[in-house]
Amino acid sequence: MRQAFDRFHFGIFAALAALLALAVPQAVIAQDAPEAVAEEAATPAEAAGGYVPMAPTPGKGMPTSYEDDPLASMTFQDQYSQDGLYALWMHDAILLPVITIISLFVLALLLYVIVKFNRRSNPNPSRTTHNTMIEVVWTVVPVIILVVIAVPSITLLARQYEEPPEDAITVKAVGYQWYWGYEYPDHDVEVISNMLTEEEAIASGEGEQFQMAVDNRMVVPAGVPIRLQTTAADVIHAFAVPSLWFKQDAVPGRLNERMLVIDEPGVYYGQCSELCGALHGYMPIAVEALPMEEFEAWVLENGGSIPGAEVAAEAETEATEEEAAA
Amino acid sequence: MATTADNFAPAADTHAHDHHDHKPNFFARWFMSTNHKDIGSLYLIFAIVAGIIGGAMSGVMRMELMEPGIQYLWWFAGSSPEDISAAGHMWNVFITGHGLIMVFFMVMPAMIGGFGNWFVPLMIGAPDMAFPRMNNISFWLTVVGFLSLLFSLFVPGNSIGNGAGVGWTVYAPLSTTGAPGPAVDFAIFSLHLAGAGSILGATNFITTIFNMRAPGMTLHKMPLFVWSVLVTAFLLLLALPVLAAAITMLLTDRNFGTTFFDPAGGGDPILYQHLFWFFGHPEVYIMILPGFGMISQIIATFSRKPVFGYLGMAYAMVAIGVVGFIVWAHHMYTVGLDVNTKMYFTAATMVIAVPTGVKIFSWIATMWGGSMELKSPMVWALGFIFLFTVGGVTGVVLANGGIDDNLHDTYYVVAHFHYVLSMGAVFSLFAGFYYWFPKMSGRMHSEFLSHLHFWVFFIGVNVIFFPQHFLGMNGMPRRYPDYPEAFAFWNYISSIGYMIMAASMLIFFVNLAYAFLAGKKAANNPWGEGATTLEWTLTSPPPFHQFETLPVIEDHHDYHDHRPATA
Amino acid sequence: MAGNVNHDYHILEPDIWPLVGSFSALTFTSGMVLSFYPDLFGAASKIVIWAGLAGLIATFFMWFRNVTIEAQQGDHTPVVQLHMRYGMILFIASEVMFFVGWFWSFFDFALFPDPLAYDAAAGSTEALNVLVGGTETPKGTFIPQGMEVLDPFSLPLLNTLILLCSGTTVTWAHHALIHGDREGLKQGLWATIALGVLFSGIQAYEYGIAPFTFGGNTYSSAFYMATGFHGFHVLIGTIFLAVCLYRAYIGHFTPRQHFGFEAAAWYWHFVDVVWLFLFIAVYIWGGWGAVYH
Ligand code: HEA
Ligand code: HEA
Ligand code: CUA
Ligand SMILES: [Cu+2]
Repeated sequence: MRQAFDRFHFGIFAALAALLALAVPQAVIAQDAPEAVAEEAATPAEAAGGYVPMAPTPGKGMPTSYEDDPLASMTFQDQYSQDGLYALWMHDAILLPVITIISLFVLALLLYVIVKFNRRSNPNPSRTTHNTMIEVVWTVVPVIILVVIAVPSITLLARQYEEPPEDAITVKAVGYQWYWGYEYPDHDVEVISNMLTEEEAIASGEGEQFQMAVDNRMVVPAGVPIRLQTTAADVIHAFAVPSLWFKQDAVPGRLNERMLVIDEPGVYYGQCSELCGALHGYMPIAVEALPMEEFEAWVLENGGSIPGAEVAAEAETEATEEEAAA
Repeated sequence: MATTADNFAPAADTHAHDHHDHKPNFFARWFMSTNHKDIGSLYLIFAIVAGIIGGAMSGVMRMELMEPGIQYLWWFAGSSPEDISAAGHMWNVFITGHGLIMVFFMVMPAMIGGFGNWFVPLMIGAPDMAFPRMNNISFWLTVVGFLSLLFSLFVPGNSIGNGAGVGWTVYAPLSTTGAPGPAVDFAIFSLHLAGAGSILGATNFITTIFNMRAPGMTLHKMPLFVWSVLVTAFLLLLALPVLAAAITMLLTDRNFGTTFFDPAGGGDPILYQHLFWFFGHPEVYIMILPGFGMISQIIATFSRKPVFGYLGMAYAMVAIGVVGFIVWAHHMYTVGLDVNTKMYFTAATMVIAVPTGVKIFSWIATMWGGSMELKSPMVWALGFIFLFTVGGVTGVVLANGGIDDNLHDTYYVVAHFHYVLSMGAVFSLFAGFYYWFPKMSGRMHSEFLSHLHFWVFFIGVNVIFFPQHFLGMNGMPRRYPDYPEAFAFWNYISSIGYMIMAASMLIFFVNLAYAFLAGKKAANNPWGEGATTLEWTLTSPPPFHQFETLPVIEDHHDYHDHRPATA
Repeated sequence: MAGNVNHDYHILEPDIWPLVGSFSALTFTSGMVLSFYPDLFGAASKIVIWAGLAGLIATFFMWFRNVTIEAQQGDHTPVVQLHMRYGMILFIASEVMFFVGWFWSFFDFALFPDPLAYDAAAGSTEALNVLVGGTETPKGTFIPQGMEVLDPFSLPLLNTLILLCSGTTVTWAHHALIHGDREGLKQGLWATIALGVLFSGIQAYEYGIAPFTFGGNTYSSAFYMATGFHGFHVLIGTIFLAVCLYRAYIGHFTPRQHFGFEAAAWYWHFVDVVWLFLFIAVYIWGGWGAVYH
């Protein structure tokens, strides 16, 4: 009976180890750099000479279902910002292996003592209660491991907090109960973004998913620095886009600011990530990154203006005024 | 001039009557108790009831999340399926209730109030707690705190529905301007009441441990469970009043026009988070340290070997307690902290892995060379070590401020803290329960059912919570009643896990019923020579008043043997 | 086992007051909630609050009465007295942490004032745009423009002196007690209580004439909550001392055993120290540079 128990224990622990090992291959898949695929998606807009919402690329900028790709459904979304790629690398190459190894190591030790030091195989217990050497080892080794983790971790933080350049495009995301507003102070544009209902989401075409799709997206240029500011009008919300490794709380009375550079055009989805009341689950975020010209076309179409152009125009009027005064 | 108080007659002389054998009548015994064992039993019963309620709430939650879409919430809200506002609010009420109940009314009362009350005095050779009457008000304040939380369910929380839907963290301004109904006030007062009980309990434990150890039992000879309760009590004493201040500010912001957290008056919502987490992080160690203590006793007992590195074990807990006070902002990485602050909190948080590792490895070293017997408490303890490690290492992942930018407020965090709580803390509770049940009740439970309970529970909770790591990494935010199709599969698995887990709880209650109805009588020490602490020298159950003659721990006994010389 | 108690600990008989006290506390807090929502609950809240309060007062009264009786009948052996010392010190430690919460918010507002730029009514953050207008962080003022604060060197300074004095009078009472001088004990206590009442009176008067009210901005919120909770503690301390005075009159306390008195004195000193921090941080430093009323 006892023997049966022991074997049973061993079996289950071993099965669990296998389960854990399942998590490791994520490191491999998540590392391939994302391919640029969005170029064709932009074509219809160009052809029409106006802005047409880009069709999302399946699997890009959104979660993956188990049915589509079991492994991808178990790990981080592919990353489309340099900081995101670095963070993903840090997780997949350092953190995940380290924590998996530590967990398996502890599990292995447990299995070993269960097999070796049970009442049958070791009827007479030792009375060892000290071993300075081993105690130093299990204090110092974790310290070393943590230092190894801390170095890239601090680097990552430093990178994430790089100041945006003076001419970065400012976008202000304002959280409301329960929708987002996107203000472009440099361009005089303001967009209100509401979630589409299930029917609308399905009707709006390929790849749009309910609870992700919105009526008006936050449109930004790809490849250039964006000064992304967040704040809120009522309670705290959080602006989060997993595929850009970006999350920043939108706090009433505060203006948080962080630089974001999106590597390539595409649609990147996120969801409000701070409990904000009844419809917290229903205020998604959709970021559409476009090449600069298309972004500017979108701005103009929405009644905005391009800051550079404005400056030039202003200089002109000033000049004429001066002339008149003279 | 001098009054009677000047001659310090021992209590026995003034109380001539002998209350050893006669127990108070039913009402006096259970409603007016000044007996640490009875109060401990009350706490345990209360915790089990709260655990059933909190567990049932998580059952509703898991059923709702089994498939995308709103399934049942609208029904609980008394509304219609189309009304997603009502359903969403109902969800928030459920998670708030579940979180608060599990934390304040299940784990804390069970560990500190229940096992702490029962076994701290027994283990240090004391006849009772230092303040027996205050002990009782600690318990009843916990009960009325729970009642206040229940009241909140039946009054409006906001314009949408009844109940407090603000999360167990009660963040402002969602909990102030965002929740204008009385439900949140009731919930806040619930924390005030339970918190006051815990502060009084903490003073009681510290005083008891410092002043009532049996002759010869120095601090460094105390069983590790007592050490763990001592550290926990200090954390409670220093952390809870800050929470009390914070939630008092919530109340005055809500009702008296102060603007602590209201930006319209220059206030700062983030201040609330600082105050809350200055309490909240120590709180998570409050929930696990007594578990550490129980695991130490159990591992030593069933390995038939004194605990390895006793002093290291004790001071590791002290270190965890101290460092636990200076890492709070790791819960706030995304609120807009500046980069240096984030770097500091990243580094400080990771430091805690070191003393925790010392404990994990010392437990393994205790078993190393031992003669282990896999009795029911021991399998729970083994399960604890492994699952707590898994939960702990995901904590280390979250500790990295830059990484947490993606994981914060996702199911990865939910998975992390259920591994340390619903597995760490709860496994230690069951380990302690099976370890001490024979002592407390005088009956043996069924080893077979206990093992079965373990395995089914073990599989169940892993199936619930392991897939939540995947969901979190893939981007599923927490506190969501509903989710896009992409998250359906792992949520389904997770909910299946709940059913497995629920089946195991049935086994637990069958086992309890069996023990009380047909269980064998328990010997004084059913666990054999490995059980060296004082409670095993007493009868099972112990006499109503034990140690009327104090046991003496002789000098030549080292701290590995806590029994009196005569035992 | 003979059942002979061979130790000096105090084993108590069952007692109803913890139960009564807890449910009274619940009644009181519930009554408070009801009173916040007169529209929902009507005027019933008053009755509930008073019922709860009555229960609480009865509990405190009976509880301490019982403790005193036990002390008088000799249950408080040296080790039990030691318990009480520990208990009181720990209780004060928890009170210190409670005030840490208030000071934390005070310093947060004073050191990092947030801009009053948020228009909650309009749900607008328009003003934030203006303020930010680049990369600099918006900064606000702690004490809103045009708001007057209390002059720390008038009544608050007087109150500081009063409390410092009361600290010495309570020590006078203690010395008298230790030296068996019962009259000195009474006089010292009378003086301390009088000073405590004077302090509370002045504080109440000052609240009455203060140029700003409870809510509205962070300065007034932090000011009233911190000083208000301090004032509440002065009140408790005064009652505590008054109980001691009564006990002194009926012949309690001996030069060797008088922990009830010592606890009151400790508590009084704690309240005193908190005031010093309040005076220096909130009144002097916090109001520095602002217009005094
Ligand atoms: C019992 C409760 C408990 C315990 C013990 C812990 C332990 C830890 N927790 Fe956890 N935590 C919670 C309960 C707990 N936590 C809860 C409830 C929340 C969410 C609150 C909410 O938002 O609602 C949370 C959230 C939380 C966050 C915030 C996540 C977020 O919201 O974004 C972080 C971030 O740093 C964190 C970190 C840690 C760390 C580093 C530990 C460490 O103490 C873990 C240390 C243990 C180990 C590391 C394993 C054993 C060690 C070894 C085998 C040695 C070798 C190891 C290494 C070298 C790594 N926790
Ligand atoms: C100790 C704490 C604890 C415990 C045990 C649990 C147990 C469980 N939790 Fe919970 N949970 C929290 C603390 C806890 N949780 C917290 C703090 C939150 C966050 C809330 C918030 O966001 O504000 C949360 C949130 C949370 C969520 C996320 C909700 C969301 O974000 O939308 C989910 C979802 O699946 C969940 C599920 C479960 C399940 C299925 C269990 C199951 O394991 C439950 C099974 C039941 C038991 C294991 C209890 C059995 C114990 C006893 C009966 C007592 C025994 C007593 C003795 C032996 C003396 N929990
Ligand atoms: Cu907005 Cu959550
Ligand atoms: Cu923490």
